[in-house]
Amino acid sequence: MIEYNGEHLLIGQIGMFLTLLAFFSALVSAYANTRAANAADMLSEKPWQKLARTTYIINAFAVLSLFVTLYLIIYNHYFEYKYAHTHSKRSLDVQYLLSCFWEGQEGSFMLWAFWNAVLGLFLIKRSGKFEHPVMTVMSIAQIFLASFLIGIYFFDIKIGSNPFVLMRNEFPDAPIFKDPDYLSKYILDGNGLNILLQNYWMVIHPPILFLGFASAIVPYAFGVAGLWKKDHAGWLRPALPWALFCAGILGLGIMMGAAWAYESLTFGGYWAWDPVENASMVPWLLLVAGIHTMLIFKSTGHSMKSTYLFIFLTHLLVLYSTFLTRTGVLGDTSVHSFTGEGSTLYWHLILMQLAFIALPAYLYFKERKNIPTVVKEESMNSREFWMFVGSLLLLISAVYIIVLTSLPFFNKLFGTSWAIGENVEYVYNRIMILVAIIIGVLTAMTQYFKYKETTRKYIWSKLLIPTIATVVLSAALSIWGEVKYDKYGLGYLVGIHVALWAAIYTVIANANYMASVLKWKMKAAGASITHFGFGLMLVGILISASKKELISKNAGGISVTGLKDAKGRDDDPLENVTLLYNTPVKMGKYVVTYLGDSTVEKNNKVFFKIRFIEVDPKDNETIVDAFNISPNAFLVKSGESSQLSSNPGSKHYLSNDVFVYITSWLNPDNIKDTASFRYTNVQAGDTVFYSNGFAVVNKLMAANKNDNKDLPMVDSAWVSEVAIFSKEGVQFNANPAYLKKDGIVSTKIDTIMEQHLVVGLQRDANGKVQLGLKESNAVVRYITLKAFRFPWINLLWLGTVVMVVGFMISMYFRMKSKLYVA
Amino acid sequence: MKKIHILGLVLIAGAIGALLTLMGDISTYDSVESAKRKEGKFVHLIAKIDTTQPIVYDPIKDPNYLAFTAVDSLGSTTKVVYKNAKPTDFEKSARVVMKGSMKGETFECKEIVLKCPSKYTDEQGAQPGKMTETSYKTTE
Repeated sequence: MIEYNGEHLLIGQIGMFLTLLAFFSALVSAYANTRAANAADMLSEKPWQKLARTTYIINAFAVLSLFVTLYLIIYNHYFEYKYAHTHSKRSLDVQYLLSCFWEGQEGSFMLWAFWNAVLGLFLIKRSGKFEHPVMTVMSIAQIFLASFLIGIYFFDIKIGSNPFVLMRNEFPDAPIFKDPDYLSKYILDGNGLNILLQNYWMVIHPPILFLGFASAIVPYAFGVAGLWKKDHAGWLRPALPWALFCAGILGLGIMMGAAWAYESLTFGGYWAWDPVENASMVPWLLLVAGIHTMLIFKSTGHSMKSTYLFIFLTHLLVLYSTFLTRTGVLGDTSVHSFTGEGSTLYWHLILMQLAFIALPAYLYFKERKNIPTVVKEESMNSREFWMFVGSLLLLISAVYIIVLTSLPFFNKLFGTSWAIGENVEYVYNRIMILVAIIIGVLTAMTQYFKYKETTRKYIWSKLLIPTIATVVLSAALSIWGEVKYDKYGLGYLVGIHVALWAAIYTVIANANYMASVLKWKMKAAGASITHFGFGLMLVGILISASKKELISKNAGGISVTGLKDAKGRDDDPLENVTLLYNTPVKMGKYVVTYLGDSTVEKNNKVFFKIRFIEVDPKDNETIVDAFNISPNAFLVKSGESSQLSSNPGSKHYLSNDVFVYITSWLNPDNIKDTASFRYTNVQAGDTVFYSNGFAVVNKLMAANKNDNKDLPMVDSAWVSEVAIFSKEGVQFNANPAYLKKDGIVSTKIDTIMEQHLVVGLQRDANGKVQLGLKESNAVVRYITLKAFRFPWINLLWLGTVVMVVGFMISMYFRMKSKLYVA
Repeated sequence: MKKIHILGLVLIAGAIGALLTLMGDISTYDSVESAKRKEGKFVHLIAKIDTTQPIVYDPIKDPNYLAFTAVDSLGSTTKVVYKNAKPTDFEKSARVVMKGSMKGETFECKEIVLKCPSKYTDEQGAQPGKMTETSYKTTE
């Protein structure tokens, strides 16, 4: 047995203990809650209640502590732990350490358990007579979530995956673990975080999304409680605010994911019908359907059975989504990377799904005869009729999406090899555009109907003005709005226009409803605000998608635009344009120039500087607009060369975004640069010569964080202003810098490409500042980029915010309403 | 029968219709040989990049032209043309899923999904079977 040096074993042992504590306390709590729920009277309920609550609080404590424990391991860079080693790195900025947490499978299950624990604590306090059945469901969820983290062998089957395993236990045969000092000799740093996740959205999006996923269980739990306690009307009151909460948060989480995709993925879009996106949207659709049937039941007594169905399906679809995206069954179809933990997790998640199907199925079967139904038919002139139609449509669109998304899973089950063909997005969009049309019109009109019966006269008297306004505005947009997306033919273009009209109708009709019917009473306005926001989202989606414009349309190169393919269509436009350094190129209405790049050595991030100048098409001279966009990219070392991992840059305007990313770059480092820096000690005012001229150090400044508060990221810095004069009499400027943080040094180098000159700054052993010059015969310098313009995308983000606010207002007033008796 | 049931049935019929029209868009996973037999038909080809053959990509000449040779698990090869920029980590990928169709002797690829071996390949030994993936496609 080797005694290893420098390891921090205690914290991992605490973590392991907490995992087991979480698992067993949830087990006891589930049992105690079941007994308390089935207790015949108060007297026999009390002791079980006490046990159930205590064990759940212990469970919550264990889960919260687990969270802190794992975070400390990541934060302190304890790379003897596999989780820290796999997902983190010393050079990561502190804010991204949280992203490391969610990057791994164990961390995301832990996040889920965390929210489940917190929600459970609220539910103990707030669910009144439904406490025990509800908490039974919450505890069962905690049992499963904790079991994903246990990672112990039960006979030959490994249950779950523990985040506290040590590197040396995971790879026991590796030779480095023969050395007791392996930690200080070999495992000095972690592998780091996937660079796509090094984005601020990835710090905030997963917790919000997981809160959305986790809270889907609450309406489910109340549904189970309703069946269990045979109180089919009672559970709706406490469940409804939770359902609204979940719909708001889940919607927000999904759209944050969309914002991340938009800002940091290089697909040029916020939504690609990727399985991971679909899997998170389907539960939301079902939940929204469920919220509407809940409202129908509360007002009319109709739709109880559908409500049970929608509310149960919502949570089950959350579990099914987890199953699809975590077990690797999606395999070849998604851009997301999956952990593919193998067959254990596959069966583990199937077991979890079966458990959560079995519980309500059993109770429903037992209770089905007593579920209230209304024999009388809904009137066509009633609100509930059209709300139900809308819910049904949401269900059907959810089924459509999930069936398509599940194709790889069906392939696995049935041994087929189907896949969606050429135009994945079109396959979804052409159906969803029909859904959008109907949902849009329903959302606009349905609120003007009253429950049970409404006279046509009343409806039309109220709807007349918004309808006329919609027709006028939409017609204007159709005529002058230049929406002419004809890639999929005229029928689809008409569909887009009709959907736009419907979306505008939603916006106007709901705004009008707030003003003319509700008279701005906030108390009842939640639904209208939500629908208003949803309408804005639809408008934003339709306009930004159909008017999205490729700026970097390539007319040069081998292929010629307008070239017909075999079917006689125009070939797809070629999207990449190569820009030579400092050579302006005309792209659409812009003249685009590649002005340079600078590398941050610490994390090998390259920032590109690209100038866009919009000229007046009349005289091709007057500058209408000019701006710089700085996309960036990480240089990923692979073997001898470096690869580029690109992050888009964008210029945001109120009415549109210009969006650019680098698809190819000739990194001078890749051309076996044999030249090296020549360093000279310098002070301000000094001159250093190079083969084609000289460099003058105009300024040299040292700063450290004690006396300079504007230095947030580093401890100390030496910056310079260097003017470079070539023999030809041209002047260039460079600002090389030398930075220090936590004893780690990094430099910012500047390249003067015209002079093939690289300028750097460093300090020698005695602390003297040195200017480094490197003359490199790098060949032509260029970048290849793609550029898009997204008009009115801000409507989508604005609509999202409004919708979420609407959900929260509804939730607030439903909670406060006298009807809410916990 | 209630009106709502009729409406429900209509919607469900619509949904089934939608799924049926989809059949026209369903494509399949194929090998090089079977893709060649279905010339012109849109397929998903699973293969590896043949690194012994030249990979042509010169962004200065044409940033939208990548040509290389792919070899599938049965050993058949085909020339592939992808009219887009060369994806990051292209050479490193262990496996690629290419979506497109055969045109004559060339596979015209519209979209590439790369499967890269995990970056975890230190001296401790690689984790078997762990892959990351990235997709590249012609956005429209």
